[in-house]
Amino acid sequence: MKVKCYIQGMAAISPQQTFEGDITTAPFVQSDSNRLVCIEPDYKPYIPANSLRRMTRVLRMGLATALKCLSGSGVSTPGPIVTGTGKGSLQDTEKFIKEIEQYKETALNPTPFIQSTYNSVNGLIALQQNGTDYNNTFVHRGFSFENALVDSLMLLQEGATHTLTGSFEEMTPEHFYIKSRIGQWREQPVGNTHLFDASLPGTISGEGSAFFVLAAAPTPESKAAVTGIKLLYKPSLERLSAVLQELGADADLIISGANGDSNYSHYYELANQVLAAPTIPFKHLCGEYDTAGSFALWLAASLLHAGNIPADWFPMVKELPADFKKVVIYNHFFGEQHTVMVVERVSS
Amino acid sequence: MAERVFITGMGMVTAIGDNVAGNLQRLRQQKSGLGFTDYIDTIYKQILPVGEVKLDNTTLFRMAGIPVRAGFSRTTLLGLVAMREALQQAGISNLQEEPTGFINASTVGGMCDTEKVYFDLINPDKSGAFIESIHTLDCADCTQRIADTVGFTEHIATISTACSSSANALMFGARMIKAGMYQRMVCGGTEALTRFTLNGFNSLKNVDKQFCRPFDQQRTGLNLGEGAAYLVLESESFAKANNSTILAEFTGYCNANEAFHPTSPSPEGDGAYAAMKNALAMSGRTLEEVQYINVHGTATLNNDISEGRALERMFGTAVPPFSSTKPFTGHTLAAAGAIEAIYAVLAIRNGIIFPNLNFSERMEELQISPVTELQEEVIINNVISNSFGFGGNNASLVISKYEG
Repeated sequence: MKVKCYIQGMAAISPQQTFEGDITTAPFVQSDSNRLVCIEPDYKPYIPANSLRRMTRVLRMGLATALKCLSGSGVSTPGPIVTGTGKGSLQDTEKFIKEIEQYKETALNPTPFIQSTYNSVNGLIALQQNGTDYNNTFVHRGFSFENALVDSLMLLQEGATHTLTGSFEEMTPEHFYIKSRIGQWREQPVGNTHLFDASLPGTISGEGSAFFVLAAAPTPESKAAVTGIKLLYKPSLERLSAVLQELGADADLIISGANGDSNYSHYYELANQVLAAPTIPFKHLCGEYDTAGSFALWLAASLLHAGNIPADWFPMVKELPADFKKVVIYNHFFGEQHTVMVVERVSS
Repeated sequence: MAERVFITGMGMVTAIGDNVAGNLQRLRQQKSGLGFTDYIDTIYKQILPVGEVKLDNTTLFRMAGIPVRAGFSRTTLLGLVAMREALQQAGISNLQEEPTGFINASTVGGMCDTEKVYFDLINPDKSGAFIESIHTLDCADCTQRIADTVGFTEHIATISTACSSSANALMFGARMIKAGMYQRMVCGGTEALTRFTLNGFNSLKNVDKQFCRPFDQQRTGLNLGEGAAYLVLESESFAKANNSTILAEFTGYCNANEAFHPTSPSPEGDGAYAAMKNALAMSGRTLEEVQYINVHGTATLNNDISEGRALERMFGTAVPPFSSTKPFTGHTLAAAGAIEAIYAVLAIRNGIIFPNLNFSERMEELQISPVTELQEEVIINNVISNSFGFGGNNASLVISKYEG
């Protein structure tokens, strides 16, 4: 498969001011909590009020992000819609489980069941944008968004002019508690400002939605190009090292998924050894979640498009590179799904 | 020129059989697997029929060839049973000999087990072995446990597009082969009955208290089912070099969204029509060359009108023999596309058309009726298999006789 596509537009809702703000001027949003929460926009410009009332949080986030992405991309139809989500609408899943119990399986409202279906955001985007093309949803932890990206690259190779490719994820207080029971989060509040001060078991949780319009051919509006992607399932250190060398040897900026979790930090340490380029983290901005890779792609493309790195967002990095053309993202999700993406500047 | 994609192995477990041969036998006997549940804790135990696999989890562990242990949900176990058969039938004893991807499909992951312990999981006062079930909350859990048990180490993915999930898994795998990423992929889906899903569909008022009656005027809804099915897909060049037994060719597919309503299909079947039309065009076959259609045919009021109209729009007065096999298996959601793809292969290889059970009265909206008797010694070269789902997700597959 030929890996080359152009990011024609993008949008992100995250715990940072990414939806409205400009990366070069928006301040770094600090948090003392181990659960980073999205800054949600006013949805009214994107979603009619009567629809909005029925929709739960991650549906709103996903739909609004997709619509903003489309509106800034100069395309009239969404084309194929391909997404990834690790958990879908947790809020609806939790609600329906509880209502089954509470109402003893009788007179149930079907809405939470419908909205808990993993492809419900895709269906809403298609419905609102009359998107009758290909439509697919990947639900595989740290491979969810990246599989959507692979699917999109294949669609472009098969002849699609563009795709709408994205992710959506939420973390509920209840699910945060559940995952705390297996030690996914830090025991003591560390927040995002001190995430990398010490390497200890656990990290901080996050959430977000990011969408991209990807095109087969560049235009003057192209923000960046995706030129490489590799998914590695539970790789050996040798295999990981070889792939990082293959894709990242000539990179001039590395975006690392490091999250301060000592249980799995050896992979990021290996990446630091293998890759010579300066490295910046991103999990202090968005937290850890299944589709955090999509935030990293948004970040890489935003930095390449802006041409510089806002120092305010990376207080832990002493020296930021002034010039960079090729960015390599390396991320993994609790040591299982490892992904490498290559993002390059589009010369205009 | 993209490679042709062949089906070289199949494995399955459903309410009508623990393997492919068992399913074929029950289809021939015209004997449904619908009945009442032994394993779900629900007030509808004796009210809503389901297509349950009558094997308890201990038996499934044994059939999957692994010791009983925590964390393996029924979804995973059903998947493993089907996977073992698919690999064995394809003659694959070591997945490391040829890089092989695995594309799985699931609608609610391990919910069948999660829902039993969920209130303990969220209760700080409770602790115990149920903690092992935490990971079964998502859809990737079953995929990875199946992958790790049988030895997949390459590309893995899980797809969830409601009732079309495993049709999309097959499509994604075939496209990866055509894109040259892999020579061999194993694709399909697994689904276990859950109280969550049963109540979900029941709250939508589309579950029938009787055995479901697809395409019948008196139909009132679907029956849920469970099961798993996987197909081994190989590129032509690999299958030939490997001397694989080629069971059928996967000649066409299409995924199209209807953009009509979150849960209902359009009355004119726009999405179904687009999916079938484009899939057939891709296969290079004509309308006349389709000898059988395994319809989605859930027996919900809306699906059967929509799908029936799409058939009439596409084929006019010459709609080929069609039937829904859901009265045999129940609607197995994420597994349905792969289960019915295997039925398509069985139809082609055995020259049989399966009857649409429980049909007695043609729908007033349609001019067509399904096949109601088992037809044998039929020449079947091309089958269309439909899977349509929530969110307007429509998928059609074309499976063809292998002719060299």
